[in-house]
Amino acid sequence: MTTSRAPTTSPDGATIIGESVHIRGQLSGGEDLHVLGRVEGRVDLERTLVVAQSGIVKAEVSVKNAVISGVVVGNIHASESVEITREGRMVGDIYSPRIIIVDGASFRGSVDMGDIANMPSRNPSAERTRPTPIARPAASTAPAAARPAVTAKPGSKPAPAPAPAPSPAAKPPEKALEKAPERPAEPARPAVVTPLEPPAAKGLPQKAQKTRVIVKRK
Amino acid sequence: MANTVIGNTIVIDGEISGDEDLTIRGTVKGKIVLSASLIVENSGTVEADIETKNVEVSGNVTGNITSTERVELKSDGRMVGDIKAPRILIADGAVFKGNVDMER
Repeated sequence: MTTSRAPTTSPDGATIIGESVHIRGQLSGGEDLHVLGRVEGRVDLERTLVVAQSGIVKAEVSVKNAVISGVVVGNIHASESVEITREGRMVGDIYSPRIIIVDGASFRGSVDMGDIANMPSRNPSAERTRPTPIARPAASTAPAAARPAVTAKPGSKPAPAPAPAPSPAAKPPEKALEKAPERPAEPARPAVVTPLEPPAAKGLPQKAQKTRVIVKRK
Repeated sequence: MANTVIGNTIVIDGEISGDEDLTIRGTVKGKIVLSASLIVENSGTVEADIETKNVEVSGNVTGNITSTERVELKSDGRMVGDIKAPRILIADGAVFKGNVDMER
């Protein structure tokens, strides 16, 4: 990581645990922490934990934000967000209002995004344009808007258009028979499929608040 | 080379080991084992037994230092504990209480 290699540029900004350094015990603080080496035990931060690609953290982690490009074994409690990048690997549970797991990341554990019942409805497009100010402090709204929604790929499923559904019903039955070969093509359209298959977010409240998420590298 | 820095607000309670330079601006309690240099800056506080190659103290150190090369107490450094090292420098203004052993 280029930023961590130049500690002189931000002398007060961040703490860096270098590649060959191994810390065992408790670590707490009010600033960003970049881990390029190894930390075992417990990490409590008021700001961001960054686990670089070479970094290994085996600890109970309690932070505001976490960005994982290395290895984390242990549970993470984040008051704001947790992001597992493409290179990141994690085993443990995540408790955070925002969780981002990028394609290529590897994760085993449970995810808890908190009070889902009180969250605004997960209309993906609406969430993107209007980040929820209720759950987060105002300062974070800007980056929040820029990031993709947690469960991801909301754009691919626009709200089900009412048009396709009535159209087959409006047709006379005979014509429907004539058009039989065309019919199989219709279910393939995402607009028809989506109402049958509710988006992932809709299922969450029923499944309590714990969900098993496994993302494997392709 | 990536430098390890323990920032101002950071508190570590436990053991730190490594093969690279370590700069402490925050607080470390426990034990430090390094095969390189340890720098305790003005704002740094160390309550630990220290085993390193070099030590440079501008902050507060409580504990024993065993160094294979050199220990330097700068003018604003304060140290309580024993020092064992072949070369020991104590600058004017430094505060030190403890034993010194320069045997090689």
